[in-house]
Amino acid sequence: MSLEATIDVRGLRKRYGPTVAVDGLTFTVRPGQVTGFVGPNGAGKSTTLRLILGLDRPDEGAALIGGRPYGHLRKPLSEVGAMLDASAAHPARSARHHLLWLAHAGGLPARRVTEVLDQVGLASAARRAVGGFSLGMRQRLGIAGALLGDPPVLIFDEPVNGLDPEGVRWIRGLLRSLAAEGRAVLVSSHLMSELEDSADHLLVLGRGRLLTDTGVRELLDAASGGHTRLRTRDRGRAMAVLARAGARVASLDADTLTVSGLPAERIVELLGEHRVPFTELAGHRASLEEAYMELTRDAADYRAAGQRAEDGS
Amino acid sequence: MSGERPGAGAGAGADGGAAPVVSAGAGADRGADAATGAGVVPYRSNFADGTPGFGGLLRAEWTKFRSVPRWVLTLLAAVVLTVLIALITANGSERAVAGGGEDPADSGASADFRIRDGGHFLYQPLPGDGELVARVTELTGTQDWAKAGLMIRAGDEAGGTYAALVATPGHGVRLQTGFTQVAGERAEAAVPRWLRLTREGRTVTGYESADGENWSRVGSVDLTGLPATAQAGLFVASPDEVHVDRQFGGESISQEPTEAEATFDGVTLRPESGAAAGEWQDRARSLAAGGSATRLGPDAFTLRGAGDIGLDPGFADDSARNLLEGALAGLVAVVALAVLFLGSEYRRGMIRLTFAATPGRGRVLAAKATVLGAVAGAAGAVAAAAAVLLAGPMLDGAGRVSLTEGPVLRAVLGTGLLLGLVAVLALGVTALVRHSAAAIALVLLPLLVPRLLAGGLPLNAAEWLQRLTPAAGFAIQQTVRRYDTAIGPWAGLAVLAGYTAVVLAAAYARMRRRDA
Repeated sequence: MSLEATIDVRGLRKRYGPTVAVDGLTFTVRPGQVTGFVGPNGAGKSTTLRLILGLDRPDEGAALIGGRPYGHLRKPLSEVGAMLDASAAHPARSARHHLLWLAHAGGLPARRVTEVLDQVGLASAARRAVGGFSLGMRQRLGIAGALLGDPPVLIFDEPVNGLDPEGVRWIRGLLRSLAAEGRAVLVSSHLMSELEDSADHLLVLGRGRLLTDTGVRELLDAASGGHTRLRTRDRGRAMAVLARAGARVASLDADTLTVSGLPAERIVELLGEHRVPFTELAGHRASLEEAYMELTRDAADYRAAGQRAEDGS
Repeated sequence: MSGERPGAGAGAGADGGAAPVVSAGAGADRGADAATGAGVVPYRSNFADGTPGFGGLLRAEWTKFRSVPRWVLTLLAAVVLTVLIALITANGSERAVAGGGEDPADSGASADFRIRDGGHFLYQPLPGDGELVARVTELTGTQDWAKAGLMIRAGDEAGGTYAALVATPGHGVRLQTGFTQVAGERAEAAVPRWLRLTREGRTVTGYESADGENWSRVGSVDLTGLPATAQAGLFVASPDEVHVDRQFGGESISQEPTEAEATFDGVTLRPESGAAAGEWQDRARSLAAGGSATRLGPDAFTLRGAGDIGLDPGFADDSARNLLEGALAGLVAVVALAVLFLGSEYRRGMIRLTFAATPGRGRVLAAKATVLGAVAGAAGAVAAAAAVLLAGPMLDGAGRVSLTEGPVLRAVLGTGLLLGLVAVLALGVTALVRHSAAAIALVLLPLLVPRLLAGGLPLNAAEWLQRLTPAAGFAIQQTVRRYDTAIGPWAGLAVLAGYTAVVLAAAYARMRRRDA
């Protein structure tokens, strides 16, 4: 494991009064990847990010950046860039001044302000007061602040919130390109669909615990689970042939079947042998959202229990 | 892990469409290395070198301050308001010129103290050592502290060196010198009374006697600066009648001159001074104030005199301080500003960005305190200086204040220190309570309430209140010592500084322990 450009979270635990917000979290965020940090609102995502940034103090465990706690970083803004809250800027201050004080505090040259404003597309609004910004512009300003120190580790809390479709596309591209440069990028979201096409790796959080720590491709493969969709004019015979060969077959509509338990090549073979006509055979690809549902079905008991506890309280 | 995408290279920014990503110079090499090991070369910042210094942190906090237009405007308004109030104060002040004696404010006596050098003095030059004897046969006056007796003094100059042996209607005989000390007292001695004052070199000694035969020593003083030829003669004084009416929100003082009349006989001066023997002169300054002397016989006189000699009991207005009263308005603005400076960061979550950039809580607090203290201090000093420069000349006569006077200059610069300290105090309180409205109240109440209450409380309680609360800091603005002066200027400021230090230390401890 590289000492640089990683976030290491070990046995992190944080309680606010009677509420356990983060309950024994352990994970690693690696360089060169976009790591999605997913979970419903209140799952402990923001708390974890605050703990990583040394803003809150953990009750147990540690969060390390390149092997060191945040408070011991020599030049924090050039080691970790974070956007926690897009509205964390004084409304009467201009975007440029907001980034300028940050640059001064971080020991960064003032020209970085102009560079990151260009990078996030806010150059023309640089002298406007932040109070007049749309949520999308504030997100961009927050991202500019995170990029200011050109850090190898980036943390974005819900960056897609409030962005228009063009902005969403932009941020996906940005996340991908940042990771491609070898940076570790941690992006939190309460909607799995927001991370579609941008995350490489997923950390799924529920009520302060880590439910899953997996690669996106593995997750999709697992969720797709060898389902094949078959379109045929002769539904009855196809079902009979495939069922006899040991497949589980379900009928979707008049001419579509889903087949599981048999690889696609074997299905083609069998249909050919028995001269069953078919017009389409497709491997079914689960969406990330479906995969997430699949995944969290395992945690359903836990979720249901949690729900009850919440209702009861 | 399967997270790595084969297609993703340095040019991946293209699918985002929008802004190009600043990529490190070595970006291409990284792509090539992707096959080895974990498949990724970790990124290294182009700005990884160096360490953010405290200077940068100060610039950061200064940038925060100057980039919120309404904060800068508030500060300017505070300065303007302070000066305006001074102008109004100066314009509305009508001072009755006190008839009792003169106001030797620039007499060279200790700058903090105002002195009085009134009364009537009838004298002859006394070359070298000698002795003056006389009997006070009668003393009439309305004041317990009316004085009749003998005096040796350096010259006519106001506030000059002197020693006076005087009988009083209510307090016996005393030997008094300078403007702060009493060299000896005989409380039981009453008029009529024989008095004798001798000079030997620099030492002046006083005696009193009921019969002119058996003398008792009252005391003796060492008068440095007494010239070879001094003035020696008879002296009558009567302090002003003063009524002080204290109430919430202020005080009203009425001060009226009074007169005393005394009759002397057996007046003998040894050695008799040469050609001028028997030539008694009135002190020119006291004639102007209504004093007079009548010769009743070869060695008998009647003197009338008004005004007193000695330390001013401090009923006179502290006109410089009154001018600087407007700094209260500036102070309220500065407190609000200091509270918002930090409070707005907590309210909007910006404090997290501040701490993310500078994880050291102490450094952040120190930088904020330095910038706020300097900004508020500069504003305070500028406002006070402008107030004195613009409004000072509008005051009449004795009340006129100028920056060239030591105490006034101290009060002006002290106003800057006062506002600076209060700003830092407000910052500390905000860090403790994290709630702007509560913080403003917590800072302003202990500063203002003692001042408001002071007028209505018994003098003793009012004094302690102004010694022990942060309001003691206002003492730095006093330029004369008054009857109700509770604490010295620097001691008062030190009390405020103490409170500020304690609050700041508590704020630091709290910031370190608490979640941001």
